[in-house]
Amino acid sequence: MSARQAEAGAPVRAAPRREITPGAALPLLGFLLLAALFPFLPLGSRAEFLLQIAFFTLVAGIMALSWDILARSGQVSLAHAAFYGLGAYGYALLLKAGLPWLLAMPVAALLAGGVSLILGAVTMRLSGMYFAIATLAFTEVVRTIIQNLPESVAGGATGLLVPALLGGNSRAQYALAWGLLAFTVLVSLAVRLTRLHFAFAAIRQGEETARVLGVSIVRFKLLAFFISSSLAALAGVLYAGKTFFINPLETFSLANSIAPLTTSIFGGLYTTLGPVLGATVLRVAEELLHNSVKDGYLVVYGLVLMLSILWLPRGLMGLRRNRKHGGDL
Amino acid sequence: MDLFVQTLVNGLLQSGLYALVASGLALAVGVVGIVNFAHGEYLMIGAFLAWAGSAFLGVDPLLSLPVIAVAVFAIGALTYRVSIRHVLLAPELNQMLLTFGLGILLQNLALMLLGGNTRTVTTPYQASSLQLGDLSVGGPKALAFGLAALLLGALYVVLYRTTLGRQMRAVAQNRRGAQLIGIDVDRVYLIAFGVSCALAAVAGVLVSVLLFASPTVGLVFALKAFAIIVMAGLGNLTGVLWASVLLGVSEALVQTYVPGGGGWSDAVFFLMIFGTLVLRSFRGAR
Amino acid sequence: MTAATTIGGTLSPASQGAEVLRAEGLSKRFGGLKAVQDVSFTHHQGEILAVIGPNGAGKTTLLNLLSGVYRPSAGRLHLMGRDVTDQPMEARCHAGLGRAFQIVRPFPEMTVHENVTVGALFGKPGQRLPEARERAWALLERTGLAAHADKAAHELTLLQDKRLEVARALATNPSVLLLDEVMAGLRPGEAQEAVALVRGVRESGVSVLFIEHIMPVVRDLADRVVVMDQGQVLAQGTYREVTADPRVVSAYLGTEEGLQA
Ligand SMILES: Nc1ncnc2c1ncn2[C@@H]1O[C@H](COP(=O)(O)OP(=O)(O)O)[C@@H](O)[C@H]1O
Ligand SMILES: [Mg+2]
Repeated sequence: MSARQAEAGAPVRAAPRREITPGAALPLLGFLLLAALFPFLPLGSRAEFLLQIAFFTLVAGIMALSWDILARSGQVSLAHAAFYGLGAYGYALLLKAGLPWLLAMPVAALLAGGVSLILGAVTMRLSGMYFAIATLAFTEVVRTIIQNLPESVAGGATGLLVPALLGGNSRAQYALAWGLLAFTVLVSLAVRLTRLHFAFAAIRQGEETARVLGVSIVRFKLLAFFISSSLAALAGVLYAGKTFFINPLETFSLANSIAPLTTSIFGGLYTTLGPVLGATVLRVAEELLHNSVKDGYLVVYGLVLMLSILWLPRGLMGLRRNRKHGGDL
Repeated sequence: MDLFVQTLVNGLLQSGLYALVASGLALAVGVVGIVNFAHGEYLMIGAFLAWAGSAFLGVDPLLSLPVIAVAVFAIGALTYRVSIRHVLLAPELNQMLLTFGLGILLQNLALMLLGGNTRTVTTPYQASSLQLGDLSVGGPKALAFGLAALLLGALYVVLYRTTLGRQMRAVAQNRRGAQLIGIDVDRVYLIAFGVSCALAAVAGVLVSVLLFASPTVGLVFALKAFAIIVMAGLGNLTGVLWASVLLGVSEALVQTYVPGGGGWSDAVFFLMIFGTLVLRSFRGAR
Repeated sequence: MTAATTIGGTLSPASQGAEVLRAEGLSKRFGGLKAVQDVSFTHHQGEILAVIGPNGAGKTTLLNLLSGVYRPSAGRLHLMGRDVTDQPMEARCHAGLGRAFQIVRPFPEMTVHENVTVGALFGKPGQRLPEARERAWALLERTGLAAHADKAAHELTLLQDKRLEVARALATNPSVLLLDEVMAGLRPGEAQEAVALVRGVRESGVSVLFIEHIMPVVRDLADRVVVMDQGQVLAQGTYREVTADPRVVSAYLGTEEGLQA
């Protein structure tokens, strides 16, 4: 009895260390602010090139963060390239069908989200490597289908021309990518700060226990898939509109599944800031290497992934002062 | 009807190669308990070594095969020592991602050093063919099948007739128990992982003769090997054989009978993965 | 009555003593092993029912059948008057079944408070986060875990983990609470606290089904006892009745627990 009373007498409602304070959002806001200011820096003669790198850094941020949202529900997917590609192709085909770009973009995202529900339903009961293999195979098949559709429909193996986004104005394109990343950050925060966080984390940390506690895995796993894949598709739209030419091999490349996964792990899994930071660091490293070697610059991702798993399991976020229970965002 | 038989034979011949890759993967999964996503990259290494031997030293791939097998065994053993060994007790996710990273690393190192081109190996028997009644069978294909059958036979003999094989099976069944009866588990793991990689490399040598060597040639074979071991049940070596035949023959049938089948046959393995996984998850408990 | 009655919604004072759980011939095989065989019993509203039996008797497997972790090889299960045999775990939870596991299963990367919040948030449909957090706090106080609320769940001692199991199950606001050996390993004083807690739970209108080896606890708490052996029900009745049953006595002879009546 006495033990319990002593415990009960302790300061019971001291601010829980895990509780998220508004201050936790500061680094994120800082990042978005810096990113917003980037085009206004004196970039000199290489402005166009630097802006393009920055654009694809934002795209990589959207990919990584959206992948992380799915991973939070315990679904470590290798199908992100599929939804990126479905976004790119969906957007291109909807434009071809005469939709205005502002409409084609969200419709392509929702379509990809819809397709992800099929994959999610089929992989519902799979976990670990079975899930990974199934999602990897799914990507290969989506690519095979697109590639084998009649050329008049989706361009076959050759690919498709896509009208340049926003008339090819690179500052406007950058602003759009920034807006979509900011949107993704908002979605990620919403997931973190609402009941979804508890559902996803519970499913990830003990699916059966979560179910016994009433967490409906069907609803939440599919929701995670839908949110994540729609956002990945938005990144695909940006890619298609920026490169104005897409083909199955590059668009559905495994690299597009590897990069977000590695980036999130390197930056810090299950956080909002981590994947965005990771994307910035890795994308810059990739560009530097890409300048000196033509092929194989993805070696960065392989190396970073291995080293993170062996020595940095909590990613960049784990390097900050030892905040074991930090209310990280 | 002849076309049908020819198709079956083609599929069967192809399955020998599949079984070789998949049994290596099954060994890593079954004995070491590691799902090696980099498995295809050891195949790629084998293919490139065969190509290099042929292009620079003029050695026929079939002659360099034993040397390559030993070399890749060593590379596999080294891989085990510096990486796999450190995640044996880690969560499955970490193991998976580690080998995945390893695969990306190896593939892109190859791309960096050798470029993305495909390299073909020329052999005197490349265009030869065997005539069996109405059936015509490509010489290299038949050779590859024969070699694969031989090696798989040898693998079974090792697993079921030697002390090392018994130790491997003991470790596969119960790691703790094996340790208690004095088996050096670490050594068994190292050998099993090395053999697993060597089997992939041997398949790679055959691939260099049948197709070509390229940095990305391993991936599709690895994917198919995954399909096979998923169908067979993880770590089940006997199951690997019939699953390989099933995959090889189904692909051949699609190639022959589906219009534009060449493009679609690469999706067959996917349907098999999905079919198996879905079936299994619905049959299992809720 | 209080919490459970109003939120469960299906109970009224008039139905007091009505059956909350009815198992009809539940069986579960693992390959050739009949872990649970033709088990039938009825659990009434407000009742504390104990399931006892030697190790390996099939008690945990029975609980897995009740909470839906396993699908039975045969038999039906009715919860609050509805056949839930084909319902998944989450639906049974929503229908009023709460469960604490014998082998504790905290969500390791969550704090204690977050662990309980999961139960409060999803145990019944339509709960909102702020209220769920508040209820989680209340439950932590009730189970003596409040001082550890902000610890990561993996930092707890085994005893605290067991309390967490109970708190989390209670957070789902169950009509029936299943407890699997939550008192094993407690010191006598702690066991007395746990007994008081279970009584309090029953006072609040929740029916309790618990598995326990400590016989004095069973004697003090249980209204009725179901004795299992080798997957089957050996006897049911009051504590006095079953301990007088010669079959029960012989089943316990030679087991290390013994019958400490
Ligand atoms: N998942 C399972 N697979 C195979 N056998 C099991 C499984 N779960 C329990 N058993 C077996 O069923 C029997 C009953 O176990 P259990 O229900 O845990 O007993 P109790 O909780 O009464 O000690 C035991 O023989 C146990 O080994
Ligand atoms: Mg038990």
